[in-house]
Amino acid sequence: MKNNDAADDPGTTHFGFQTVDRDQKESLVRGVFDSVASRYDLMNDLMSAGIHRLWKRFTIELSSVRPGQTVLDIAGGTGDLAAKFSKLVGPDGRVILADINDSMLRVGRDRLIDLGAVGNLQTVQCDAQELPFPDDSVDCITIAFGLRNVTDKDRALQSMERILKPGGRLLVLEFSKPVSPLLEKVYDAYSFRVLPLMGQLVANDPDSYRYLAESIRKHPDQETLQEMMEDAGFVSCEYHNMTGGIVAVHKGIKA
Amino acid sequence: MTGRHDPTVVTAVLVAAEAAINRGLELDPTSARDLADMAGTVLAIDCLSPEIEVFAIVEETGRLHLTPYWEAPADVRVRGELTDFLALATAEDPAATLINSDLEILGNTSPLLALQALVSRMQPDWEAPLVDALGDVAGHQLANLLRGIFRWGQASSKSLRRQLSEFILEEGQLSPPAAELEHFFEQVTALGLRVDRLESRLQRLARRLAAQR
Ligand SMILES: C[S@@+](CC[C@H](N)C(=O)[O-])C[C@H]1O[C@@H](n2cnc3c(N)ncnc32)[C@H](O)[C@@H]1O
Repeated sequence: MKNNDAADDPGTTHFGFQTVDRDQKESLVRGVFDSVASRYDLMNDLMSAGIHRLWKRFTIELSSVRPGQTVLDIAGGTGDLAAKFSKLVGPDGRVILADINDSMLRVGRDRLIDLGAVGNLQTVQCDAQELPFPDDSVDCITIAFGLRNVTDKDRALQSMERILKPGGRLLVLEFSKPVSPLLEKVYDAYSFRVLPLMGQLVANDPDSYRYLAESIRKHPDQETLQEMMEDAGFVSCEYHNMTGGIVAVHKGIKA
Repeated sequence: MTGRHDPTVVTAVLVAAEAAINRGLELDPTSARDLADMAGTVLAIDCLSPEIEVFAIVEETGRLHLTPYWEAPADVRVRGELTDFLALATAEDPAATLINSDLEILGNTSPLLALQALVSRMQPDWEAPLVDALGDVAGHQLANLLRGIFRWGQASSKSLRRQLSEFILEEGQLSPPAAELEHFFEQVTALGLRVDRLESRLQRLARRLAAQR
């Protein structure tokens, strides 16, 4: 089950439905998030009618994060999860908001300062495939709507496993496969018709939102992602479908 | 655990209830103080039908946190049917209701009674806390829905109970009714077609303009 993301040629990968060079994907993904950063939060609300907040809240419940712990939110973007974690871990804990994209991080940092969540919070620009943190140093890692953008997901999962403390947990919140074929049909129509249109109207950027819709389809389904987590060394892996499987949250524990 | 219910729906209901209760607390300092004295208390509500487990946790700030998922053990556990819980929530004499109902209680009842007192006194304002929690789009819609249910429920608290059980049972399954999905799908397709037509019209216009130059 290795290299789920790669197309048949090992030097290429997917960018939405296009097949591109592996090196190229990173800069294409960066382009997408550079261009959506300033409108990102508004678009999130519009695209999901606010439901992404419920998905995130449930993910935070599953984290069982306690005061004093260290939490890494990788691909954290504008900091939705990090803001909540900052409250949960309290003054003795630590939250790292990490993202590969500087524009997203900057929006996130400003927003977190506005929310007053800075004392225990730091931002780090880094790549999920090569996390620059010591082994066994983090209690909980979350990655929300980020894994599908990562070129080598297996490498990213291994990197997360390495830095988690034994018993620490990983939560992956990501688009997945709707359980009912009818729901899948509706959802397809929504994401390929409505999303680019909304992207056009609100952010004047239909291409980025078309990429978002396409990358959702290329992402591994529930069972595949669970196997990938097990391959990376996680144990007690399980997932919860949300909104009929449009989104799933996967949980894995470092042995 | 969320069992077979979709966590999105369960979370939505809990976010709404939590927001309303905490709003109620802001307006009711006595209950708020009672509750703050119990900071750290975990109350497990174990509903048998629909089958769902909810935890109410008293935070340090005296606010209440409702969650479908909690790993530490609970201080009190109440088990029963949804109708029993709703009867207790609206009871004027909660102690008597507790004794006479089929609710099964494990542990100390005082947090349960404090919570009951709070909920039964509540005049919830749904809008502001929901918009805070969910943003304008979903928050406003959910507030409208709840206002409707609540207003209607105050007129008849028996039918509120029935309605609410049905609502939760039905939503809990969350395979959206096929007819509704089909309708939505048709609308989306129609929208797509309109966009396509608009696009080709624009292209025709552009060509005509180019030809005129
Ligand atoms: C859709 S956003 C999600 C943001 C936030 N977690 C949320 O849920 O709102 C995806 C984020 O993944 C980041 N990203 C993409 N590839 C990455 C990588 N290899 N390492 C770290 N972050 C990455 C992007 O910069 C972007 O901010």
